Amino acid sequence: MVADPGAARTARSARLNEPRTALVEENFDGSPCRVNRQPVAAIREEWRVLDRWWTEEPVSRRYFEVVLESGQNVVVFRDAEQGCWFSQRGA
Amino acid sequence: MIACLLIPGFELQAALYHRPRMRLRPAALSPLPGTEPLLGPVTAAAEAAGVRPGMRLGEALATCPSLVLVERDALLVETEWEQVIRRLEDNGFAVEPVEPGCLYFDTRGVERLYGGVSPALKRALAAVGSTWNAGAGAADRRFAALAAAAIARPGQAVVVDDQRTREFLAPLPLTLMPLEAGRREELDRLGVKKIGQLAGLPGSAVAERLGPDGRRAWSLARAEDGGNADWNDSAGWNDTKVSARPPATDLAERLEFPEAVANELTLRRALTALLDRILARPERGGREIRKVALSARLVGGGSWRRTVTLREPSGERGVLRAALGPKLAELPAPVLSLGLELVVLSESEGRQLALIHPEGEELETRLRDGLRQVRARAGAGAVATVVEVAPWSRIPEQRALLVPRD
Repeated sequence: MVADPGAARTARSARLNEPRTALVEENFDGSPCRVNRQPVAAIREEWRVLDRWWTEEPVSRRYFEVVLESGQNVVVFRDAEQGCWFSQRGA
Repeated sequence: MIACLLIPGFELQAALYHRPRMRLRPAALSPLPGTEPLLGPVTAAAEAAGVRPGMRLGEALATCPSLVLVERDALLVETEWEQVIRRLEDNGFAVEPVEPGCLYFDTRGVERLYGGVSPALKRALAAVGSTWNAGAGAADRRFAALAAAAIARPGQAVVVDDQRTREFLAPLPLTLMPLEAGRREELDRLGVKKIGQLAGLPGSAVAERLGPDGRRAWSLARAEDGGNADWNDSAGWNDTKVSARPPATDLAERLEFPEAVANELTLRRALTALLDRILARPERGGREIRKVALSARLVGGGSWRRTVTLREPSGERGVLRAALGPKLAELPAPVLSLGLELVVLSESEGRQLALIHPEGEELETRLRDGLRQVRARAGAGAVATVVEVAPWSRIPEQRALLVPRD
């Protein structure tokens, strides 16, 4: 496969499906109501990932698979450690 | 001779074309979203108030608080530029457009028609119209023609004598040279402010100090080919030749929506309808499409346009839909109308198909060639393989790595 040419100049290995910062507005229950300024039409699934709690870099994420009003499917999560939202592919 | 027709600040002029009163007020083309906040071209009134093109937005607004920022309208620029080109082509000029506001043509074909170089340039300026404030220049080289057009007043044509190109260029400022701002500043610090001063320097010293770009500028300043008759610059053009564009296809379809649409599904359906309509046009004559443009009129007055060049010409709906569909996701706002234009068609009908499909070693060789081309174009590390490192991991970014394949 062909990688992003900008990233290619460094010629280093990169992680696939790295999380990207997302602009998310939350409901009172912590579920997303707007993702990147687009209203959420439906939440299809919700799950949590708690991992590496025994290390100094624990992972604590609350994932949501949402359908936006434009029809796009997006997976977003709130990182409890960092306190901010990310979108991610391949989740 | 080679002629150049220059319309300064075309994008701003196009944006103000239907608002002529605004031309008299201090106005400037606003920076593109997501880029450095630097102004585009400015009106004469803005210039009189101290605002300069390329100035920082904050500085410009502090200098002239009444400055009006004009949004870029890509669709309007394309439409108006195409109108300008068509008017010239209707008058017999075979033009090579470089960018909106700048084009070249060879005067040899029209000199006898209009009775000389100067009358031909006058005719070209008249064809473009006085509203655009165009200037024209002619010389034996493209760069000299561009420089002549740049110093010409609106509606004026400057013709440079074949034998006096170097003398003509010598007193002109270095800002006319196609040089990076950093290089120009470096030359300025060294006291080189005029094209003639650059031309007077030893070529090897210029090349050593400024690299290939500097050497190219030096050759342009001396009105030389750099020792190679077929010498091309980085943009791929030869300083002594003009390549006229092929005849315009004039195949376009537009779909107006009763209300603004942002839904990607609806837009994709609209794109399919447009493709069906445009592919059924008899003017296409079975020819395949090489370059296609998708445009939209946005809610709130702006416009959007994307051009796609197909790797292989195609007339298949599915191929065109696959190439254009992802572009719809880049739309920045709901759209009022969606347009499709066939920019370049292939010269011939049909395609030579392979009798035997490549397989085995031949397929491997072709794949390797393809990968080599990608590396050559995008640099080392451009081709990568997905390597699974922890496919069982619950953390998606831990599962696989993208490893460069060199």
